[in-house]
Amino acid sequence: MSAQKTTVEFNDKVVRQFLLASVIWGAVGMLVGVLIAAQLNFWQLNFGTSFLTWSHLRPLHTNAVIFALVGNMMFAGVYYSTQRLVKARLASDFLSQFHFWGWQAIIVAAACTLPFGLTRGQEYAELIWPINLAVVVMWVVFAVNFFWTLARRNEPSLYVAIWFYIATIITIAMLYIVNHLAIPTSWTHSYSLFGGVQNALVQWWYGHNAVAFFLTTPILGIMYYFLPKAAGRPVYSYKLSVVHFWSLVFVYIWAGPHHLLNTSLPGWLQDLGMTFSLMLWAPSWGGMLNGLLTLRGGWDKLRTDPVIKFFAAGVTFYGMSTFEGPLLAIKSVNALAHYTDWIIAHVHGGTLGWNGFMAAGMIYWLIPRLWNKPLHSTGLANLHFWIGLVGILLYVGAMWASGITQGLMLNATTEHGTVLTYPNFLDTVNAIRPLMLMRVIGGTLYLAGWFLMAYNLWMSIRGAQPVNGTIEVFKDEPGHAAPGGLSVAGWVMNPPVLFSVLGVGFACAWMFGGHFVSIAGLVGTMFCAVVAFTHFEARRNAWGDWYDRLLVSAVPFTVLTFVAVVAGGLIQIIPTVVIHRAANVEDRRQIPYTPLELEGRDLYVREGCYLCHSQMIRTLVPDVLRYGDYSRLGESIYDHPFQWGSKRNGPDLARVGGKYPNVWHLRHMENPRSISTGSNMPSFPWLLSNALDVSTLPRKIAVQRQLGVPYPQWTDAEIAASVDAQQKAIAKDLRDGGAYVAPDREIVALIAYLQQLGHYEKVVPTGNAPTLAD
Amino acid sequence: MNPNTPTPPTEDPLRPHSYDGIQEYDKRLPNWWLFTFYATIVFWVGYWGYYEWLHVGPSNHQQINKAMAAIEAEKLAATASTKLDNASLWEMSRNPVFVDAGKVTFNSICATCHKESMRGVADGGIGANLTTQTWIHGGNPMDIYATVTNGVLVKGMPAWGPVLGQKRIIEAVAYVLSHHHEGEPMTVQSTPAAK
Repeated sequence: MSAQKTTVEFNDKVVRQFLLASVIWGAVGMLVGVLIAAQLNFWQLNFGTSFLTWSHLRPLHTNAVIFALVGNMMFAGVYYSTQRLVKARLASDFLSQFHFWGWQAIIVAAACTLPFGLTRGQEYAELIWPINLAVVVMWVVFAVNFFWTLARRNEPSLYVAIWFYIATIITIAMLYIVNHLAIPTSWTHSYSLFGGVQNALVQWWYGHNAVAFFLTTPILGIMYYFLPKAAGRPVYSYKLSVVHFWSLVFVYIWAGPHHLLNTSLPGWLQDLGMTFSLMLWAPSWGGMLNGLLTLRGGWDKLRTDPVIKFFAAGVTFYGMSTFEGPLLAIKSVNALAHYTDWIIAHVHGGTLGWNGFMAAGMIYWLIPRLWNKPLHSTGLANLHFWIGLVGILLYVGAMWASGITQGLMLNATTEHGTVLTYPNFLDTVNAIRPLMLMRVIGGTLYLAGWFLMAYNLWMSIRGAQPVNGTIEVFKDEPGHAAPGGLSVAGWVMNPPVLFSVLGVGFACAWMFGGHFVSIAGLVGTMFCAVVAFTHFEARRNAWGDWYDRLLVSAVPFTVLTFVAVVAGGLIQIIPTVVIHRAANVEDRRQIPYTPLELEGRDLYVREGCYLCHSQMIRTLVPDVLRYGDYSRLGESIYDHPFQWGSKRNGPDLARVGGKYPNVWHLRHMENPRSISTGSNMPSFPWLLSNALDVSTLPRKIAVQRQLGVPYPQWTDAEIAASVDAQQKAIAKDLRDGGAYVAPDREIVALIAYLQQLGHYEKVVPTGNAPTLAD
Repeated sequence: MNPNTPTPPTEDPLRPHSYDGIQEYDKRLPNWWLFTFYATIVFWVGYWGYYEWLHVGPSNHQQINKAMAAIEAEKLAATASTKLDNASLWEMSRNPVFVDAGKVTFNSICATCHKESMRGVADGGIGANLTTQTWIHGGNPMDIYATVTNGVLVKGMPAWGPVLGQKRIIEAVAYVLSHHHEGEPMTVQSTPAAK
C-alpha cells in the first residue's frame, strides 16, 4: 500500500468574504428593523417618503436578516467546517466566487426593489421573479460546489454537521422553487401559480420550513462543528444526533399549517399542523441537549471565553424558542397569540438569540483563525454579549407583554359575552405603545452590540495577514478502516428504512383511509412499532452497522433525507391542489375583480397592506363580533397571491367593503389621523397624486384567465372602457362627498378594491364532488 | 456500538472515529426526553382519533356556529326585558350616568365621522351634523336608535348593533339626545336620491 502524502490548502478566502458580508448586511438589516420598530410609535419616521414607509421596509428587514445576515453567515460556516470535516478543498474556486458575488448581487437587487413596492406579496417570498430565478441559480451553485466537494472528500464518513447541511440544501431548493412558481405579467410583476387556500398552504409550508431549514438546520450543523471545537469537549451523544436529526427533518415539514389555525383552512390540516408541532418539541430539544451537554466539563470557559458565552446563550434561546413554538401551535393558545406581538417575540427570540448569538460566537472564534491574529479585544466581545443579552430580554419581554395585552383586549367581551369590551381597535394599539417603545430600546441595544463586533472585527483584521488552513492527507489510503458503502438494494432493504416507510404508510392509511383501511392502518401502525422496537432491541448492532455504512455513502444519505422531508409536503399539498376547486368554496364563491379592482389589489400588494392587515376572520367569537361572519374558503379562491396576512397591527379587512363611504377611505389613506385620532398607520398621500398605470392590465387579466379565474374574453378596449366607467363613478361619488380627485389616480383603484372586499355570491352545492373537508 | 479503543475507566466511552479532532460520546438518550417524544406521539394519535377519525370532537365551524347562536339568544333575551321607547330614551338623555357613558362611546366610535363636537360635516367630518334640528333618517329617539343599530349603508353609516351592543348604543343615543330637547321642532330631510 503506497500512501501518498499531499497537503491540501483550504479555500478560506470565500469564508472570509461571507463572514464580512454577514456582519455588514446584518448591521443594515437590523438598522432597518430598529427604524420600522420606531415607526410604530412615531409614524412620521418615514419622512414623508414612500420608500421609507413601514410597509415597504418591513420586507427588506425580514429578507435582509434571513437571507443576508444568516445566509452569509451560514455559507461562511458551512464552507469553513465542511472543508475540514471532509478533508478536502472546496471543489471549485470559480463556483465559490460566483456563489459569493452572485449572492451579494441578489441582496443589492432586493434592496433596490422592495422599498419601491416591487414585491410578490408573500412573506419572506417577496422578491420579484427575476430575482427568484437568480436565487435558484445561486442555490444550485452552492449545492454543486458542496456536493462536488463531498465527492472529492478524503474523509469517507459524514459527520453530523454534514447531515444537517445536506438536509438544508435539498429542502430549501424544494421549498423555494415550489413556493415561487408564478406566471409573469411584466419584468417586475407576476401572479402566484397558487391562489386562495392553496397559496396559503404552500406559502406557510415554505414560510415555516424556511425557518426550519434556513434558520435552524444549517445553524445546528454549525453548532455541531464550532461548539465542540470551542469547548474542546466531545459531542455529548452520537445516538441523540442520529435520533434528533431524522425526527427533526421528518416532523418539521408537517407543521406548516400551524400558521393558519382557526382560519378557513380545512380542519384536518389544522389538526396535522398542531399535533406535528407538538411532536417537534422533543426533536428540537435533542439539538439543544447535545449542544448544552457538550459544554459539560467546560463550563469554566463560560466565565472567560466570549465564544462559549454566545454559544451557550444561543443554544439556550434555541431551546426556549422551540418550546414556545409548540406552545403557540396549540389552537387555544394560538387564538390569543396569533396576529399579535407574541409572535414577534417568538421569532426574535429565535433570530436574535439563536441565529444572532450563534453567528457572533462563530465569528469571534473564526477571526483569529482566518486572519492569524488574536482578537483585538476580548473585553469588547464580552461587552457585546451582555449588551446583546439585555437587548434581547428587553425586546422579547416587551413583545410578550404587548402581545398578551393586546390579545386579551381584542378578545375581551362584556354583557354576558355578547359584545366586545374594546370595540375600537385603536384602544388596543394605544395600550401597547409603551411596550412598543421598550422594544425599540431593546433592539437598539442589540444593534449596538453588533456594531461593537464590527469594530472589534475591523481592529482585529486591519493590517493582518489572511491565512488559509491546510491539512495533510494520505491520498491513496483506502479509508481509515471505514466500512464499505451501500449497494442500491442496501439503501432500501434494511430495517430502519423498511420500518420507517411501513410505519408512516400505515399511519397515513389510518389517518386518511376509509373505514376498513383506516382500522387496518391503525393495527398495522401499532404492529409495526412493536416489531421495530423488538427487532431493534435484538439486533441493535445490525442497525448501527447499517447506519455506519450509510454515513460513507453520500448519495443514498441525500436521497433518504429527501424522502424524509418530502413526505409531509406531498400529503398536505397534493390533495389541496388537485381537488376540484369549485367544490371547496363552502357555499360561497368570490366574485372576480373588475379590471379596476384588480389594479387596486395590486396596489394593495405593492403598498404592503397585508403586513399589518389580515383578510381572514377566524372561527372565533371575538373575530366574528369585531369583523363579521367568519371567512369561507370560497371567498378567496381567485386571490393570486392570497392576502390572509399573519399580523394585525391594524384591524382585519376581509369584510371592510361597503362598511365606510368612499370618501372615508380617501381621507383615511391621505392621513389616517384625520379619521382615527391617534392612529399609527402611515399616510399614503402619493396614492392621491400618482396616475394609475394600466398598461399591463390586459396581460394581467390574460394571466388570471390562465390561472383559472373566470374572466370573459375581453378586448383591450372593453377593459379600458370598464376601467374608465368605474373610475368615473367612484370619482363622482367622492366629489359628492366633498373630495376632488381625478378619476385616473391610484387612490380610486384602491378604493374600488377595498369596497369590494367581502362580497361573494351564494353557491348551490352541486352533486357529490369530493371536498377538502372529507 | 462497541468502542474498540480503550478508554479511561472514569470517562464515558468515545466513538472510535474523530472528525477534524471532534470526538463523540455515545451516551444513551435521556429518558425524560424520550418519554416527552413518546407522549407527544400518543397525544397526536388521541387528538386525531378524537377530532378526525371518530369525529367526536366538534369542528371549528360547529363550535363557532354554536357560540354565535348562544350569543344571539342572549341578546334576544336582553332585548325582550328592556322597555325601550321614545319616552324612556328621553329620560335616559337627562340621566348623567347614561350621558357620560354615551359620551365615551361617541368620542371613541362615532366621532371619527361625526366629530367630537357632534357637528360632523359642519366641522370637517364625513358624517351628518347631529346638533341641528334637521335629521336625515328621522329624529325621534327610536329613529336614531334604529339608525345606529342597523346603519344606513348607502349613506355610509355602518350598522353598529353587532359591534357595540344594545347597552352602548342606548347610551350613545342618550348622549346625542342630550344635545336636544324633548318636543323641539324637527325637519326630516328627503331621501338621498332627491338630493
